[in-house]
Amino acid sequence: MRAPPGSAPKFLNLSQIRFPIGAIASIGHRISGVLLLVALPLLALALDRSLRSEAEFEALRDLVSAPARALLLVVVVWAASHHVLAGLRHLLMDAGIGSRLDQARTSAWAAIIAAAVIALAVAIRWLS
Amino acid sequence: MRISIYRFNPETDAKPRMQDYDVTPEAGDKKLLDALMRLKTIDDSLSFRRSCREGVCGSDAMNINGRNGLACLTSLAGLKEPVVLRPLPGFPVIRDLIVDMTQFFAHYNAIKPYLINDELTPERERLQTPEERDRLNGLYECILCACCSAFCPSYWWNPDKFVGPAGLLQAYRFISDSRDTATAERLAYLDDVYRLYRCRTIMNCTEVCPKGLSPSHAIERIRLALVRESS
Repeated sequence: MRAPPGSAPKFLNLSQIRFPIGAIASIGHRISGVLLLVALPLLALALDRSLRSEAEFEALRDLVSAPARALLLVVVVWAASHHVLAGLRHLLMDAGIGSRLDQARTSAWAAIIAAAVIALAVAIRWLS
Repeated sequence: MRISIYRFNPETDAKPRMQDYDVTPEAGDKKLLDALMRLKTIDDSLSFRRSCREGVCGSDAMNINGRNGLACLTSLAGLKEPVVLRPLPGFPVIRDLIVDMTQFFAHYNAIKPYLINDELTPERERLQTPEERDRLNGLYECILCACCSAFCPSYWWNPDKFVGPAGLLQAYRFISDSRDTATAERLAYLDDVYRLYRCRTIMNCTEVCPKGLSPSHAIERIRLALVRESS
């Protein structure tokens, strides 16, 4: 059962790697970016529809007030919050601000927690 | 103590497997490498690199409970059991915990890790002020163990094009050397979307450096030097 030549295995199972908090903030930035990219055309369409007339606005509000759909909007709110906060963190760090390890750890925690708190606050407001 | 180790023998195995061992540390066994050396007496087919056993040679870098580190600097006390040992992530495995570092050293070689000075050779040594010498602190101590590069997602996905944190830290060591006259050429080589700018400031490198160095800081300084040069 000899392995074929040139096919050396690699260990790269991401679920078995313990990521530091900075890596979590960073991958969250990517994931939220993709979510925003997907959501943006739909949000633009929704904005367009909501501006047509009062009746259209009401219909749209009814459409998104169903809990499952409202939850999707909460995810979009999280994505926008996390993307902005983690993005600002990256911009500042690129400029040499807060790029020491202890500062970077703190700002990563701050971005992750703040985005979650914003999403939670919106969820409580919309779903209650 | 229970240790679970990634095993792969290219001559007999089609794919890697995990093997569990029980080892009893003896008096004087303080570091993970001590336990591995004991395991080696139980199972001599177990393969890993080691040499100086005190964090100077950089050979026993591996993934320890999900994070890269040197076995010889990792204390047995405080390690969560079972201790899971795997080879450095993203590097081709030669056998068990031994990885192929050819590409890693090719990047190191490409940054010209030696002093370049085209001025006339002085009669005595090239002197530095204490301040100029201080600029090398935090850079020259790198032992090229590859813990950082093998923990860098940008390096995992582009190991052929991105120089990686270790190579970039070494590059900055020569860029910041007052005796080196090739700064412009060094910066020109690095000024590339992949070689330097694949770094996304994730800082996994600085998190795991067993020597406490900061490759991410060196990368930041290279970027600033390039900005200064272009303005």
